[in-house]
Amino acid sequence: MTTELELRGITKRFPGVLACDGIDLTARRGEIHCLVGENGAGKTTLMSILYGLFPPDEGEMLVRGRPVRFNSPLDAIRLGLGMVHQAFKLFPSLTVAENVIFREEPAKLGWIDRKGAVARVRELADAYGLAVDPTAKVEDLPVGVLQRVEILKALYRDASILILDEPTAVLTPQERDRLFDVMRRLRDSGRTILFITHKLAEVMAVADRITVLRNGRAVAELDPAATTPEEISRHMTGRDVEPVRAGPSPSLGDVVLSVDALTVAGVHGLPSVSEVSFDVRSGEIVGIAAVAGNGQTELVEAIAGLREATAGTVTLRGVDITHLDVAARRRAGMCYVPEDRHRVGTAAAASVSENLLMGYQRTDTMKRGAWLRRGAVHTHAHRLREDYAIRVSGIDVAAGTLSGGNLQKVALAREMTHEAPLIIAEQPTRGVDIGAIEFIHTRLVAARDRGAAILLVSAELSEIQSLATRILVMFEGRIVAELDPDVADEAEIGLHMTGGRVAGA
Amino acid sequence: MLAQLVDMSLWESVVRALIPVLLAAVGGLICERAGVFQISLEGMMLAGAFAAVAAAHVTGSALAAAVTAALAGVLLSLVLAFGAVSRGGNAIVLGVAINILAVGLTSFLLPQLFGVRGSFQPEGDVRILRLALPGLSDIPFLGPVLFNLSILGYLALLLVPAIWLFLFRTQLGLRLRGVGERPLAAETLGVSPTAYRYGAVIASGVLAGLAGAQLALGNVGVFTEGISSGRGWIAVVAVMLGRAHPFGVLAACLLFGFTEALGFRLQGQGYPVQITDALPFVVTLVALVIARKRFRRLLDLTASTV
Amino acid sequence: MPERIGSRLLGVVGHPVTVALLVAFGLGAVVIALTGGDPLAAFGEMLGGGFTGSGLRNTLSRTIPIVGMALAFSLAFRSGVLNLGGEGQMLMGALFGTMAAIVVPGPGPLVVVVAVLVGAAVGAAWALLPALGQTVFQVPLLITSLLLNYVARATTSYLVRYPFGEPGAAFASTVAVPESNRIPDFQFLGGGISISLFFVLGLVALLAVVYRRSVFGYETAMLGHSGPFARYGGVDVERKTLVVMAFAGAIGGLVGSHLVLGETYRYIDADMIAQTGFAWTGLMVSLLAYNRPVPILFAGLFFAGLQIGGFAMERSTKVSWQLAEVIQALVIVAVVSRLAVTWRRRRRLGEETGPPQPEMEAAHVGEV
Repeated sequence: MTTELELRGITKRFPGVLACDGIDLTARRGEIHCLVGENGAGKTTLMSILYGLFPPDEGEMLVRGRPVRFNSPLDAIRLGLGMVHQAFKLFPSLTVAENVIFREEPAKLGWIDRKGAVARVRELADAYGLAVDPTAKVEDLPVGVLQRVEILKALYRDASILILDEPTAVLTPQERDRLFDVMRRLRDSGRTILFITHKLAEVMAVADRITVLRNGRAVAELDPAATTPEEISRHMTGRDVEPVRAGPSPSLGDVVLSVDALTVAGVHGLPSVSEVSFDVRSGEIVGIAAVAGNGQTELVEAIAGLREATAGTVTLRGVDITHLDVAARRRAGMCYVPEDRHRVGTAAAASVSENLLMGYQRTDTMKRGAWLRRGAVHTHAHRLREDYAIRVSGIDVAAGTLSGGNLQKVALAREMTHEAPLIIAEQPTRGVDIGAIEFIHTRLVAARDRGAAILLVSAELSEIQSLATRILVMFEGRIVAELDPDVADEAEIGLHMTGGRVAGA
Repeated sequence: MLAQLVDMSLWESVVRALIPVLLAAVGGLICERAGVFQISLEGMMLAGAFAAVAAAHVTGSALAAAVTAALAGVLLSLVLAFGAVSRGGNAIVLGVAINILAVGLTSFLLPQLFGVRGSFQPEGDVRILRLALPGLSDIPFLGPVLFNLSILGYLALLLVPAIWLFLFRTQLGLRLRGVGERPLAAETLGVSPTAYRYGAVIASGVLAGLAGAQLALGNVGVFTEGISSGRGWIAVVAVMLGRAHPFGVLAACLLFGFTEALGFRLQGQGYPVQITDALPFVVTLVALVIARKRFRRLLDLTASTV
Repeated sequence: MPERIGSRLLGVVGHPVTVALLVAFGLGAVVIALTGGDPLAAFGEMLGGGFTGSGLRNTLSRTIPIVGMALAFSLAFRSGVLNLGGEGQMLMGALFGTMAAIVVPGPGPLVVVVAVLVGAAVGAAWALLPALGQTVFQVPLLITSLLLNYVARATTSYLVRYPFGEPGAAFASTVAVPESNRIPDFQFLGGGISISLFFVLGLVALLAVVYRRSVFGYETAMLGHSGPFARYGGVDVERKTLVVMAFAGAIGGLVGSHLVLGETYRYIDADMIAQTGFAWTGLMVSLLAYNRPVPILFAGLFFAGLQIGGFAMERSTKVSWQLAEVIQALVIVAVVSRLAVTWRRRRRLGEETGPPQPEMEAAHVGEV
């Protein structure tokens, strides 16, 4: 088997961080090569280098045996590297065909050959089993289809090396299996697939070879037939890791949150949330499992007060909060860790201390009359910084300088420190390194044990399975199943997440 | 009375009022498609008007005047391009600053160069060449209205379908739209947002400058301080109302042209000049309220300080 | 050690404001030279004329409207509200404040207070129009506040000619405000400065305290950083927008009222239109001072001095006084363009300041 891509001693430094430390990697033609590692292990940096976004400080790259140097993504594309991005880099208002041909448009004297473009895209789609309508606008397509467009983009540019960066984050288990089929077809046609993931089950399912990254170094190169998930995990973390398991809850108390026939309007006349009803009791974690775009975000926003409900009620400790504003809901005992920590959960330009105050500036501890108690604000910030091990040089530093994991800790610390009876946590560990994930999970379980009622929304099935007392599956705006995490397995949950049907064409 | 108001010569003045705003608005449209907030059309128009009159005075040539006007617009547009695109400054605040700069510069240069204040009439009677298209200009009604315009007028009208074709049928247009929508995505595919944005901003400078030339030398041939009187802002609104779509923007400019022409008519009938001055702005405000829910992007952007 | 001092020094010298001043004066010198003047003489006259002797007195007088309008703009801008309608708020407040001072009976000081409050109220109302447009109809007030400037000009021009005007006057103006109903001066450097100056100073102090220490100050600052974040934290975004615009408009109305009741003593159309420049100068001062009250005071003094100095410069050197406005605008353009000199660091193409984060958005492709 011929070597298609080789990385030797790739090293990359950022101020204060050694992101890549002498990484070696060899990928062969006609191979699915999995690159595994936790968040923060250097996968993203390595891929950015591979994709030409910036050059490495040391080391070299060889494509098909020849040393190469990329000054821009265009160079990488020209040499046959195709990146399938995690957050899809597509243009919503343009059609599938326009997205695929972008920058490589078939044209005469600047005038685009639109019919030819559509035909070519259709040709490629059929050849590799990627069902998609070239004339549809990307903004009208469901999330699962967008990935096919990204793959088509790479194929259109004759990519011989495809890099898929955590592609399954937004897919149902069934869609993921279809993606694996496509990947196998591409491999069999002679292409090299670099598949980046942190999910071990996927690695075992589809890899031909595995490279494990930890702390910026390539620590192992494995053959999946000769290894186990436990061994891979050990290489990834350097120790034996047991994911935090919530265990049975010590005591189940009264109903804290009660949602009754809640309906929220959506786009195109269809409701995004349809008559959803459930309760959350003190001492339990209710996990909502859903694929992105099935109404869970709107549901949470309606409960938190950031979105109007069109029908139904939300009751918090007996108080009807359905039409109360956010401030009132917080006073009634709600706290909320939002999904979008950059835009909603924190403000980059504000200081860490200011971020740690938000939502609580009107409590009696933090203000006297119209004036802030500045001493209390500072003490509060210092204490949280310590309790939650937030790594920052000072509390007056702008929050924008913090890493993803630390920023999430800021949001979490702020919300959880007031020991509210209801905690709503949305995607609490997305993009966070494993040390912080453990920390966050431990805190959530501790809060539960103290008697908090927790509503957990996550796209990470493993997180839901390990933390939730009960699992509610949401699909197309409705709760379609209630499952016991000790009984239901991934396949069953995944089936409900697609409405009990195989994902449509 | 209505028949008195709405006759052919009204439509002639509608088109005449339309031209400068349309030129500037097309420039604004291109920038909007590229993802740059172009708020300084007013200043570029003013600078263009001044430059046109200055050049007309020195050279006596309308062509030189138009070219100089375009150059003045380009110079200011480079300030916007550099400050906002290259340096990442807030485009809206920078646009306001450029407008103020244009007012200051023209007010300063007027006495400094020509020794007068308030207004200036160049030597010789220089006007932008008006061309009555043979044959076409004899068609009843349409003829005098559409086919008896200045060269810049024809340019403005032709630009509308031309820009449509450019945006939706050419490679450059497709890439421009991509840059405006998702600059990061465009960059990873090898399309430089910086290059396209510079191009868009410079194009808007040319067009706004020409709009100023048309204002100053199109009908009256004089530069007065504040000659643009808010038309640059109307152009900005036209881009918003028209959702950066060539035909939508044309419709919005047409609305403005109509209210301005109507206003002049009413003035002639004895209505106070202040009412007719305010009329286009009031109509624009009403149109904005009616057309709400189209402005999310602008709303999100202004919620952040320098 | 030398490196620390060096980098500190560079921090000051390379600071955006310093660079902006250098660039602006540099370009100004070029413009003067190109149009046949002597840059050094011109600048000398400008700086001397603005900050010494009777010039200083005029500068202090001019500081009142400039700093006032700057405070008005900054109050809104730091809360994320871009109020471009200061001009109109100033004009409307000025006219109605003047009419109140002319028409309302009673003892002098009381009438002045009432008149000034009327001016503030009208200014606030004029600012609430675009604010309501945004909160109720989602029409960006950036645009509507600006368009209303033109409507305000037309409205005040009309009102001062017909209902409110002095019949038979040569130019459009109201009657003179009765002497008892004027804002008094205090004596300084051989002439009078309106006592409004103390009010402005008081406003600077008040706002400085409110911004730093009050709940309102915190909530509006957070709103300015990020609307979604503030809303999430329970801040009533719509209400804050309205309140902030009302105050900004009120201050504008106060400034406008001062310009008549404390300076010209009658509302003269042409005069007031010319004075709308203060609203834009105020905007620029606020940008230069990063919206902070005390720096606004100093930046306002500086710009006021440049303008007064400009007049002196024109008298002595024949360089037109508007050069001051050009330089002011250049300073702001430079500041907003973030021109700065930073400690030399080798920057290569595409180098980030930290490792790229794994991409985290759920693929909501339709969102902005």
